[in-house]
Amino acid sequence: MTRRSAKATWFLMSLFLALVFVASVAAFSSTSSRTDQVQQNQIQRGRHLVISHACGDCHGGGSNPAASGWLDGMRDTITQQFRIGPFLTRAKNLTPDVATGTGSFTERQIFNALRYGLRPEETADVDITSTTPGQGNFPLHPHYLAVPMPWPSWRHMSNEELYAIAAYLKHGLKPVSHKVQDSDGPPDFWAGEYTVAKIGPHPAVKYPTANETGN
Amino acid sequence: MTSRRSLYAVLVLSVGLVASTSLHESVRASTSRNRVDVEAANPPLLPNISKLPHTVEVNLTAAVTRISLQPHVTTEAFAYNGHVPGPTLDVREGDHVIIHFRNELPEATTVHWHGIHLPFESDGSPFQPIQPGESHDYAFTVRNGTAGTYWYHPHPDRRTGFAIGKGLFGAIVVHAMNDPLPPMSEKLLILSDNRFLADGTIDFPDPASLHGGIDEENGREGPMLFVNGKVMPTISIRSGEIQRWRVINSSAGRIFRIALAGQSMLQVGTDGGLFEKPVEVKDLVLAPGERAELLVKGGAKSASTVLQNLPYDRYSPHTRPQDWDVTRDLLTLTTSGAPRVSTPAIPRSLRRVIQLDTTKVSAVRTIVFGQGMINGHTMDMARVDVSTRVGATEIWEITNIVGMDHPFHLHGFQFQVLDRDGVKEPYVAWKDMLNIPKHSTARIIVRYDDYPGKWMFHCHILDHEDHGMMGVLEVKP
Repeated sequence: MTRRSAKATWFLMSLFLALVFVASVAAFSSTSSRTDQVQQNQIQRGRHLVISHACGDCHGGGSNPAASGWLDGMRDTITQQFRIGPFLTRAKNLTPDVATGTGSFTERQIFNALRYGLRPEETADVDITSTTPGQGNFPLHPHYLAVPMPWPSWRHMSNEELYAIAAYLKHGLKPVSHKVQDSDGPPDFWAGEYTVAKIGPHPAVKYPTANETGN
Repeated sequence: MTSRRSLYAVLVLSVGLVASTSLHESVRASTSRNRVDVEAANPPLLPNISKLPHTVEVNLTAAVTRISLQPHVTTEAFAYNGHVPGPTLDVREGDHVIIHFRNELPEATTVHWHGIHLPFESDGSPFQPIQPGESHDYAFTVRNGTAGTYWYHPHPDRRTGFAIGKGLFGAIVVHAMNDPLPPMSEKLLILSDNRFLADGTIDFPDPASLHGGIDEENGREGPMLFVNGKVMPTISIRSGEIQRWRVINSSAGRIFRIALAGQSMLQVGTDGGLFEKPVEVKDLVLAPGERAELLVKGGAKSASTVLQNLPYDRYSPHTRPQDWDVTRDLLTLTTSGAPRVSTPAIPRSLRRVIQLDTTKVSAVRTIVFGQGMINGHTMDMARVDVSTRVGATEIWEITNIVGMDHPFHLHGFQFQVLDRDGVKEPYVAWKDMLNIPKHSTARIIVRYDDYPGKWMFHCHILDHEDHGMMGVLEVKP
């Protein structure tokens, strides 16, 4: 090989390597922006579900994410505290503050709260595969979200929808340090309120039931 | 909503029934206690069989025994050398300690030397079970500067609450080479509680029952309160005399809040020994596993007072006992009719406690206490939750996010509290127990001087610990 051709080869190789580098950077950044875009879409979807499912009506801010106190928990005892039989229950801080909100929970724990009604403070960060206490990671003594949190209705949303809500709460909200007093409740942590006889099965029974036309 | 209302009526009724049962039990407990008047004698000492200087060698056996845990009733219990509480391990700073332990229980056990700075192999953690019929020698050297009050108890995987509830706990007293306090009468006050069925057996309800669920939630408590295994015993003191009380909370879940009716006490020490200066206290909160050294002065001749357990709300609103706000008596302190003795002078300065250096901190750890979980996980012995090296100094920020207190315990290393909810700790002290009240944060600083190994950190409400509220700190060499 002549000196010149060696030089040319070296030049071509450098050019090739540079092109590979540029291409991989572009590919990497496009993957990363695609991930960002996926998470952005998920957060936007979660935001839409949070607004349309009236989370703010109890947890603060109504249906307006720009309102003060948006989802940061009970600030007035008229609309955000509930008398259920002899017990007082209170809407919690849903912003991702570690000490007072959802900051120390994973998205899976929030998913388990919405699908199974299990309090993240007291339920391990695991995949749950059963609704029988003591089986499939379902706690032997389940601690349920206080009444009137309407998780029995919202559990019928899809996995994707519930994870989108979790993503919005964890990544779409700024943390607010606001301590809400614990809810009172029965020693069975509302287990008696959430039997299949009371809240029906999940998934819901097939259409039509006796109440439905079948049309 | 009507059906919902009626459900609550049933629910409230059943809660009321549970509450009234425990009220009956406590009434029975207080009736029987009025009939007994026993001295709160210190438990016997473990005899030292070694002839070598600076060496303490003892035999300790855990076995099933029949014993009177409550007056006039014999019960099957677990006991160390036949005693509940077990005999006291009495040592001095610098001593080489060898414990020949034998497990004659029908289940695996360990002996954890709570608060003692020792090699990992002798910690008696769940990593080192001793099977039924097996023996094990524990050995450690008591470090200088660690004089104080400690205790020993089983720490087997998932069975600690059961084993301690059955009667396995005892005191460790480490005497100083040079004690700054003048010689005085020393009393051990090992506080515990228990609950019995009508036939006298110790009550451990079915975990799947409502009572079992409440125990798991609260940590098992009993209506009968004991000092050194005695119900409402007596301590005698002379007018003007000062006694040194070493108080240990060995209960499975109860947080004691003790006070001497009508007089204050002088607290001179905590888990890891003496403070720098005595602190006057009217009442004192002691979490399970926590200790305190108190100086108590005898009042007027022939007078008497009571050591009380004042209400302390550590509970979640769901499972708070109905009688949580009732003050209970623990023991009678009677001043004898003998002539007044001269009161010894108590030094204003006890010792120097060197503050750990916050500028040397190499890591800040975030520890989140959920209910029964640490950082969202239950215990896995195969997992390392915090990894560090010998010589490192770290800050641990421990946040309790639930509506129930959780007392934090770290094995192997004494720590110092920096602040609680942002309020600087008023004095420096060595601790191995720190109660983290509901919805609060505390910061501690710890230095891993030596002794590599896998050390446990956990909630010392034993039902919580047994259900996985525990983590592993690996200190690498």
